[in-house]
Amino acid sequence: VVLAASSLPVVEVASFGLAKGAVYALLALGLVLIYRTTGVTNFAHWGVGLMGIVFYFLLTSKAGSEPGVAALLSVAACALIGALIYRLVFRYVKRTNQLVLILIALGVAQFFTAAAAMGFGFEATTVVDPWLPVSNIKVGSATISSTQVISAIAALGIALLFMIWFRYSRTGRALRAVAQNREAASLAGIDEHRYSTIAWAIGSALACLALLLVIPHNAGQRGGVITTADITPFGNFLIPAFGAALVGGLVNLPLAVVGGFAFGVAQEMMILAPEPWNNLRSTIAAIMIVALLLLHTERFFVARAEQEALEA
Amino acid sequence: MTTLATEDTIADVEVRPAAPARAFRLPRLTRGQLIAGAVLGGLGLIPIIVDRAPTPNIHQWEYIGAYIAVWAMLELSVVVVTGYAGLISLMPFTFVGVGCFAAGVAVSVWGWPFWLAIPFAAAATVPISLAVGVASVRLKGLYLAIATLTFAQALGETLFKWDAFTGGQAGHSVADELKLGPIDFAGEFAFYLLAMAVALGMVWMVHGLKSSRAGRAMLAVRDNEREAQALGINAVKTKLTALVIGGAIAGVGGAFYLGLLKSPAPAGFQSPSVDISSVLLVVWAVIGGIESAFGAFLGATALIAQQQIFQGAEKLFQFVGVYAALVLVTFLIFRPGGLVQVVKITRERIRANPATQIPIAVAVVGFNVLLGYLIVHYGAAD
Repeated sequence: VVLAASSLPVVEVASFGLAKGAVYALLALGLVLIYRTTGVTNFAHWGVGLMGIVFYFLLTSKAGSEPGVAALLSVAACALIGALIYRLVFRYVKRTNQLVLILIALGVAQFFTAAAAMGFGFEATTVVDPWLPVSNIKVGSATISSTQVISAIAALGIALLFMIWFRYSRTGRALRAVAQNREAASLAGIDEHRYSTIAWAIGSALACLALLLVIPHNAGQRGGVITTADITPFGNFLIPAFGAALVGGLVNLPLAVVGGFAFGVAQEMMILAPEPWNNLRSTIAAIMIVALLLLHTERFFVARAEQEALEA
Repeated sequence: MTTLATEDTIADVEVRPAAPARAFRLPRLTRGQLIAGAVLGGLGLIPIIVDRAPTPNIHQWEYIGAYIAVWAMLELSVVVVTGYAGLISLMPFTFVGVGCFAAGVAVSVWGWPFWLAIPFAAAATVPISLAVGVASVRLKGLYLAIATLTFAQALGETLFKWDAFTGGQAGHSVADELKLGPIDFAGEFAFYLLAMAVALGMVWMVHGLKSSRAGRAMLAVRDNEREAQALGINAVKTKLTALVIGGAIAGVGGAFYLGLLKSPAPAGFQSPSVDISSVLLVVWAVIGGIESAFGAFLGATALIAQQQIFQGAEKLFQFVGVYAALVLVTFLIFRPGGLVQVVKITRERIRANPATQIPIAVAVVGFNVLLGYLIVHYGAAD
């Protein structure tokens, strides 16, 4: 067996994989948070994040604001959008029907995809400025990009902070209570709608952060290039992110993060495979996801009662 | 399991208990349905009438009509799989692609006549239907939705990048091969008539499926799988049947899709562009009425009509996606039965209070006049 792409050192490939994994991990965190607290499989997650990129693009190119400030503002705007999605749409949908929930999520996804296409002005490609420092770092013989390192570390840090907050803060505990037993939580004086709104806001902000890590830096020094392939309901990232979330059965936060990195590295490592196989990045993800689905990973992580509440 | 039916739509779902369920039977049509069929079929006359009009873009009309017919076939596959059997498949457009390129190989590589390529396209989808079926035995609801998404992605990267199957980047070109005896279906009007006839026939058969034994089993499994099994229904077999029928319908639709576009490129079936089309199919099946074969037709008509209206007008076209998504979400929250349910509710309202007939008639006529004006004014250009 000849390693066709062996000119690429493993370190470089791994750093690509970790940077991609960081994005999957953050997306998966949001997916898990929203699914656990409100029972919605958020197929609109990518679309919401894309709106953040639209704000970022408009702020940096049209309003001329600093990229860092623009990034911060977009995250805030996404949190607001998430809260609005729950308040205006999912609040009124009965949780008992997964089919309707999924179809509505698809509708919301389509809404934001179309809105994003409008925001970018229907161009085949749109270029946005980077907001993280872009430079090349030498590691031995390999050259890796600074944004990849920053992405991976930032994602890990955010995920860690988020999980600590989710475990120990008052809001986090209330969110977990709503996830575990809605009725008991509301008897204990926890406002279900309020905390569902918070979950949507935080989940959407995480989606925006994930996209802000990858999209403005995907073309290195030139910034980020957004193509029509990105302005689709699921983009290239949402499906592996679902896979990552499935590692933790769609409910476990730490394992969703681990899963994100696993998916990112596994996909990029395919480049090192021999010739006809090295292009099958989506296929390897698909195989992993189907395996995880068939394992029914959720049964390892949730009590039966909570699972039944989710799947009612 | 899951169902779209709320109290409002329950009458829609209820099967008529009086008629004995045969293995498969075609429905007896009511007078209203016959009229509807005649009106839809009568659409075929429009091109003849318009043909005499001194418009420079005459052929556009035949193309739009054929487009509606083909899209209706594609929607029907969603009706069977998701509407009847309750399986959330987010890969309907992948099935269309399989049918499309299978027909393309048959016609342009093996030199088969087009009419023979249509059943071949339907048969080509069976292995994939069975693969999804195997997954659907163990996966329900959102898990199946995710699984079908990944299937679509994986097939887009393997099958739809396999040049022997797709005919390379440009796809198969079949413009000269669409003939049935002396009739040349490469001509837009003949193709339109053929596609519309097949689409209406399929609407009729899918409508019949709903009250056949297989169809009732699908509805039962959708509404409550355990209960259905307790009644002696084989859930696995029922799901597989639904997927194979839905896949075959999509395959036939795919063959006509090939006939319509003459040489569709495989890029449209690769991820992530395939996701757009699949989501669009599901969305418009819902807007039409996902549990109804007629709804599939309505949904397809509404989709293509609004696309045509907006296409000519650049300013309006920007809003089409946003608008369609808003319509979908509104429908799902307030009218989960889709356009079919709207028609039904309106009819009942008229029956209860005949005086409402006049304002409703005025509104419907007014809406159609507006639509017609928009189409004539903005659509069919370019």
